[in-house]
Amino acid sequence: MKNQKIRIGVIGIGRMGITHHSIINSNDKVIITSIADPSTFVTSLLKRYLNILTFKNYDDLFNSVQLDALIVATPPHLHYDILKKAAEKNLHVFVEKPFTISYDESLELSNLFQSKKLINQVGYVNRFNDIFKEVKLLIKDNLIGDILQFKSEMFSNTISQNDKSSAGWRATSKSGGGAVYELASHAIDLVNFIIGKPDKVVGTTINSIYSKNVEDSVCSTFLYKNGCFGTININWCEYSYRKPANKFEIFGSKGKILADQHGLKIFLKESVPDKGFKEGWNIRYITDVFTNASIDVRGTEYTHQLNHFIDCIEDMSINNKSTFRDGVDTHDVIKNIFINNEQNKL
Amino acid sequence: MEKIDKIILGDNQFFGINHMSQQKAQQQAEKFYDINNIFKVYDNAINSGINGFMLNSNDRAKDICDHFKNNHNYDNLNWYPSIPYPHKYSNLIAEKGILPTINSVLFKNNTASGVIKMLTKGGSALLQNDPIKMMNLLIDVEMKMFKGLNVKVVFLQNIITDLMLGYGVKEVFVEYCNHIRKNYNATPGFISVNLPLLIKRFKEWEIEEVVICTSYNKIGYFMSPGRKEYEDIVQNINPKKYQIMAMSTLASGAIDASEAYDYINKQNIQSVVFGASSKKNIEHTVSLIDI
Repeated sequence: MKNQKIRIGVIGIGRMGITHHSIINSNDKVIITSIADPSTFVTSLLKRYLNILTFKNYDDLFNSVQLDALIVATPPHLHYDILKKAAEKNLHVFVEKPFTISYDESLELSNLFQSKKLINQVGYVNRFNDIFKEVKLLIKDNLIGDILQFKSEMFSNTISQNDKSSAGWRATSKSGGGAVYELASHAIDLVNFIIGKPDKVVGTTINSIYSKNVEDSVCSTFLYKNGCFGTININWCEYSYRKPANKFEIFGSKGKILADQHGLKIFLKESVPDKGFKEGWNIRYITDVFTNASIDVRGTEYTHQLNHFIDCIEDMSINNKSTFRDGVDTHDVIKNIFINNEQNKL
Repeated sequence: MEKIDKIILGDNQFFGINHMSQQKAQQQAEKFYDINNIFKVYDNAINSGINGFMLNSNDRAKDICDHFKNNHNYDNLNWYPSIPYPHKYSNLIAEKGILPTINSVLFKNNTASGVIKMLTKGGSALLQNDPIKMMNLLIDVEMKMFKGLNVKVVFLQNIITDLMLGYGVKEVFVEYCNHIRKNYNATPGFISVNLPLLIKRFKEWEIEEVVICTSYNKIGYFMSPGRKEYEDIVQNINPKKYQIMAMSTLASGAIDASEAYDYINKQNIQSVVFGASSKKNIEHTVSLIDI
């Protein structure tokens, strides 16, 4: 791939699609040749100002344009069909989370892309957040010993009122809406990324607050064979939050870590001088661990994740940090959350 | 280009925005829930010699604007609005989609004169073919609350500036500048966390006489692609073409104030915007800034 620009198409120009498009547009290694979205409003705006081909539906894009890679940010229920077609065309794919809307579809796609040796990445952007990367490193270095207990929380003000119209893909679970796919998937992926995939899901409750057809909040407990356990607590109608907040608390045999997107606090039973940690509370701010990016459109982690995708296409020996396989693992947990919720209904 | 105030009080502290600590943000949100506590901070700032104020067009800003419009003791203050309020759009877009959001913002309970005209002509369908007109109407909606105040610079929020910078769409920047100069008799401003790239593009596009508000601090926080690139470009900037306003000078509190301004005072920067709530902190910061 060296010496020539990677030709990219973007399917789905909503909020995330626009962000990805803007970020990747400033990467010199790529050229965005085409976009597809049913909204002529957005595509006509972009066509007006960018040298780009636009399509109303993605089949026309697949049939008309030669590409190397694809960024997919449509509603999740469309991902399966799009990604199957992308694999037929041998395209590397970055797809927004939650990857697909079922475990089986996710597994099939993961195996397909692996067998074709195509770069495959899911947009679990927290894996590129400087704080969560640091937490992962500290735990891998055994700073807080064996993990005994944890909680992962996500709150946002995404759905702010009674959804009278039931419009939009977020309002139905068939299209991949609902707080589990949309928000909890991030928290679950963070658990998988930092602690590991749970062996069993218990104690799940799912509830609707404003939405008619999908869940707005979920609480669940994850068990591990080694005795570790943890909870996730998610609510996307949390009107007291100005923007999404992600909090992670991990309790280990030698200390504990409290982390959010802004910083982390570490309590240690004993000091670890060679790593600069004292006994008791240690505070690391985002400013201690941040990394700048080539461009910052919406937080550098969004840039890091797309640049990583491009780096992996350029150098196929790089291990991707958020593969379809990782997406499958999240879907496995999500599947068990829904099953467990049915079992627990009053 | 008209010179901007050297020291400007920002507004993040009033609205529960703190990039370093969600807990601190929460405490501030609680304290400033009573708007009179906000006005007290403004009075302290004015008594410390501050004459310039940046204010984002969020839901609560209207009450702040009204307070200052209705009291003639404040007639000499300079205002630096930043538009739009990003989270309003962000949440609406997530819920409804992009076009319905624009419809809702422009046509719901709105009496901006241009908007009424558009409605009679067929509403947003017409705007699809005239994106610049649409942008200008959105600007007018956001700017309505500031009418009657002495507006020096109108800043476009970084979430829009940097998104458009990534897209590299010259027309949006040019037309924004035209609209602000023509309709608000103010200097166009851009908030960005990508100063080197923004200046590079502005030079290519021959966009001049604008103010750029950008994160600028000793540790390079929120400074993409890096501090060195910022320093190199700012050193050679002609302030007659681009006035630089530094924000995040303390990197959300990571740097001690004296150390932070020791660094800032040595840079080719024309203005500093900072956030503080207590009389002591405001006075201390004012005493440290020497640009």
